[in-house]
Amino acid sequence: MEYFKSSLKSVLGSASVENEPSGADTVERLVDRLQSSTLLNDRRDACRALKALSRTYRVEVGAQGMDALRQILEMDRTDCEIIGLALDTLCNITSPKTFDEEVDKHGPNNKVGEQFTEIFIKNADSVGLVLALLEEFEFKVRWPAIKLLMHLSTNRLKDIQEIILVSPMGVSKLMDLLGDSREVIRNDVLLLLIQLTKGNANIQKIVAFENAFDRIFDVIAQEGNVEGGIVVEDCLLLMLNLLRGNISNQNFFKEGSYIQKLTPMFQISSEHDDNPLSTWSPQKVSNVHCMVQVIRALVAPSGPAQAVSNCQRIMRACGLLQALCNILMASGVPADVLTETINTVAEVIRGNSSNQEFLAGVMAPSNPPRPAIVVLLMSMVNEKQSFALRCSVLYCFQCFLYKNEMGQSQLIQTLLPQGNEVPSLTTGQLLCGGLFSSDSLSNWFSAVALSYALIEDNTQKEQLLRVLLATNIGKPPVTLMQQCVMLLQQGSKAQCKLGLLMLLCRWIAHCLAAVKSFLLIDSSIAYLTALLSSQENNDDLQETLLQSMCAMLIGLCVHFNDNSISNYTKEKLCNLIENRIGLERFQDAIGGLARHEVYSRTLKHPQPSAKNPSELLLDHEFCRLSKTLEGVIIKSVLDGSSLHQKNEITIPTLPDSVLITQYKEVIREQSSQIQKLNQLTESLVKEKNELEAQVHDLRSSISHLKDQNLVLRAAQTNLMPEENESINVTTNVTTNVGCTKEAEKYKNVITELEIRLVEYASMVKKYETDFERKLKEKSEELEKLKKDQEDLLELLAEDESKIMRYEEKLIALGEKIETDESSIELDTDDQAECNNSVERIDRLISP
Amino acid sequence: MSNRDPDNLISTNDETFDYLFKIVLIGDCGTGKTCVVQRFRSGTFIERHGNTIGVDFSMKTVLIDDKKVKLQIWDTAGQERFRTITQSYYRSANGVVVVYDITKRSTFLSLQHWVEEVRRYTSSHVLLILVESLREVEKGEAEALCQYLPEVLQVVETSAKENTNIDSVFFYLASELKRRHENRQINANGDEVVRLGASKKLSSCSSCSYKIF
Ligand SMILES: Nc1nc2c(ncn2[C@@H]2O[C@H](COP(=O)(O)OP(=O)(O)OP(=O)(O)O)[C@@H](O)[C@H]2O)c(=O)[nH]1
Ligand SMILES: [Mg+2]
Repeated sequence: MEYFKSSLKSVLGSASVENEPSGADTVERLVDRLQSSTLLNDRRDACRALKALSRTYRVEVGAQGMDALRQILEMDRTDCEIIGLALDTLCNITSPKTFDEEVDKHGPNNKVGEQFTEIFIKNADSVGLVLALLEEFEFKVRWPAIKLLMHLSTNRLKDIQEIILVSPMGVSKLMDLLGDSREVIRNDVLLLLIQLTKGNANIQKIVAFENAFDRIFDVIAQEGNVEGGIVVEDCLLLMLNLLRGNISNQNFFKEGSYIQKLTPMFQISSEHDDNPLSTWSPQKVSNVHCMVQVIRALVAPSGPAQAVSNCQRIMRACGLLQALCNILMASGVPADVLTETINTVAEVIRGNSSNQEFLAGVMAPSNPPRPAIVVLLMSMVNEKQSFALRCSVLYCFQCFLYKNEMGQSQLIQTLLPQGNEVPSLTTGQLLCGGLFSSDSLSNWFSAVALSYALIEDNTQKEQLLRVLLATNIGKPPVTLMQQCVMLLQQGSKAQCKLGLLMLLCRWIAHCLAAVKSFLLIDSSIAYLTALLSSQENNDDLQETLLQSMCAMLIGLCVHFNDNSISNYTKEKLCNLIENRIGLERFQDAIGGLARHEVYSRTLKHPQPSAKNPSELLLDHEFCRLSKTLEGVIIKSVLDGSSLHQKNEITIPTLPDSVLITQYKEVIREQSSQIQKLNQLTESLVKEKNELEAQVHDLRSSISHLKDQNLVLRAAQTNLMPEENESINVTTNVTTNVGCTKEAEKYKNVITELEIRLVEYASMVKKYETDFERKLKEKSEELEKLKKDQEDLLELLAEDESKIMRYEEKLIALGEKIETDESSIELDTDDQAECNNSVERIDRLISP
Repeated sequence: MSNRDPDNLISTNDETFDYLFKIVLIGDCGTGKTCVVQRFRSGTFIERHGNTIGVDFSMKTVLIDDKKVKLQIWDTAGQERFRTITQSYYRSANGVVVVYDITKRSTFLSLQHWVEEVRRYTSSHVLLILVESLREVEKGEAEALCQYLPEVLQVVETSAKENTNIDSVFFYLASELKRRHENRQINANGDEVVRLGASKKLSSCSSCSYKIF
């Protein structure tokens, strides 16, 4: 709106001495010439002048010249000169960045480019016109046409993607330009394609169909492969866009034998070993980062299992896995490249036994030679290594043992007493060292890594029970489990304890022998109950996690208990939980785990997501374990405790019915609560619908106001010349002043309206999210209550049947039971006899 | 660990090939395009699978005169709402298969439209085949129509359900594309001869020796 003031000044002649025409005037005159002149030369000059003004007077040129410029694109298609100028001008108008020339007027972060983009694409044919111009070979047309599309899609990606998809051969035309011999064009098309393929599976597929992968590999080769410049990185980014999350394209990539083409790119020369830094330029680092991302897109654990395993097989067969391992073992590789390469190797071998075997066989060129896995684990338990690198090694190790029985058993074997001489350094020894080191991060890593060897493998759990550790000379050796429990009790750092608890949980889950060993360790249960019953409410995340895990561990001791230890039978443990901890608190602690953000984040992806050491608390595999066992544990504990309640109460039968009435009460209460919640939900839904309608109304009024705004703006610019004229004539200055005042007023009104619009929009947004959130909360609550009710009903049914059984038993034992029916039944015989005798007496008495 | 990749032996030498051609399947929604591809690719027939969304990709290599011909098969969606998307797939196709359903007259009437689309968006070298799907029902009438559609090189009656002529469609396409490709290489200087018309029925394709991998 500032331009308005500046033109006002010139209109009123207050600032300038000469009657110098304002920018808006000039623009208007040029636009007029562009539209009405019949001479091509004239139009060209006008267009050239507009282009020159389109940075400084961007708003004016855009507001007044948009239609004229579009008309040029349509009518003057045969003249490259003027088309080029028009495209350049449109590029400036729609540019997503702010030009230095306009900062004073519209501020540094204005949205002018975005607004003009919106206006430009409102006419559906506009983008089609620009796409058609791509077919013109002339550089000064083709290049700005690409740039214009780039600007448009930067500002309005979704819209442009849809428009291009529905314009015939839109994507195909762009793909043709990848073959343009002029590098500027090719490179810019590459950028445009990266932009357009973002998050649009249909465009991704069409681009792949148009031989994108071939062309990308060609360009990469031309540009010098991994050693190449930023264009190589752009190519890889496009490839990544095409593959990530697009299963069809991944299939195409695999079937088209493109995986094989990746291998040579990873054969990174190590000629300049004497100066390793020179071989790893920042660009090369970026290129390798993109390359490994491409690989990971194909074998991501979230992908379809069959496809992932096919890709993994090909990657081994074509030497890609070997090439990756070579990078792992090479010297001078930057830490971040190494980290990402380890993560990539992890996913290439995950769950694929041949690939896992391959990694097991890789030897590091150390002296003496050691298996690569040992070298990797050495880094994991080394405090001096970067945190990211240590996490990546853990991930790699997790993937190495994933569904790898042989690897699991080999790891445990290294901990058991060996017959002959022992190899210098084994994975098991490293992990034990880490477990008992003073670095709590190493403790965590080692405990979790060791737990991977026990996943779904009871044999290894039992084998691990046999592991003995030598202590001080003269003292008897202790078992690994004893040592773990001792460390748990002595250790001060929460991270270390969390790691040990996760290991113990994994160890005793599903393994009766391990539970038994655990229960036999002095004070193991006492420690857990003490920790769990301390501090009723703790806000500290680590503390609450610790308590959850303690609850989990006790629960596992209940659930996987064969009652062989008389002090800690199922029943006694449940008793303990109830008296020392409280059932509710116990349930709360176990269920609490799932409520933490870190839990859901960890559960989502197998790779550790922690950004710094203090965030490393939970492990993916542990979260999965707790997710599957949480329910059965709680049920076991509840069953155990109700059993024990029953034992106490069965002698007098009355409390059963009391219990039932209590249950009934609870159920009744919950029913009414559910009803209330239902009503609430209903009213919320209604409210939400109303709000949506409101939002809709507001949206339409917003767009209405926007249009009005545009019209007013145009009107303003049209107003000026009139005023100008009247000043020249000097007939009535006062009306002019009135006129400008009025214009000013309009302007204010417009800005005010704009502000209010924005306010409304954000308010509506806020309401919407607010209500959605509330609605979600309520429905979750409802769901929970319903579940509770179901459980209770089940319990009730169980109890009722139990009572029945007791009653039957009693009857069978010949007991009297004071229910009306049974007393009648039982007494009939006696009564009959009695009646008979009375009758007889009567008869005797009567004469 | 016995779950080693079972297909390890089958497809490792899939990576080499002598020819590569793109085949695109088009036709009204529900005419059986996906069933045709499914039958050819994996030899199965699935009664119910959802409409194709956008386009599905699959690949299969066939052996023709001892040469490996790799076919990229793009199975497009017939639904109207995907029309503009699927158009993008015609242009660089080497062969197009138009499918219609003998039991649905409307899909027959659409043939004209489909052939026009091909005319508009493909190069002149494209090879067009008409497939009469669901053949187990009755005899089709596409042959007569072909008088007006000179681009159509072959009309094939197929049934994905009973596995009739499905392989023939692709083997015919593969061998014809291979033949043309070789011819083109031989008379690289000479004018390209586009064979039009002469649509004849292909009852069983025995003109070439073929074998599935
Ligand atoms: N009897 C019989 N039915 C078939 C045959 N081929 C396909 N069908 C049936 O036709 C229906 C549609 O088949 P699709 O292959 O999904 O059709 P489409 O052409 O891929 O459909 P769009 O993906 O929507 O374009 C399926 O329910 C099949 O059971 C056939 O040869 N014989
Ligand atoms: Mg289909």
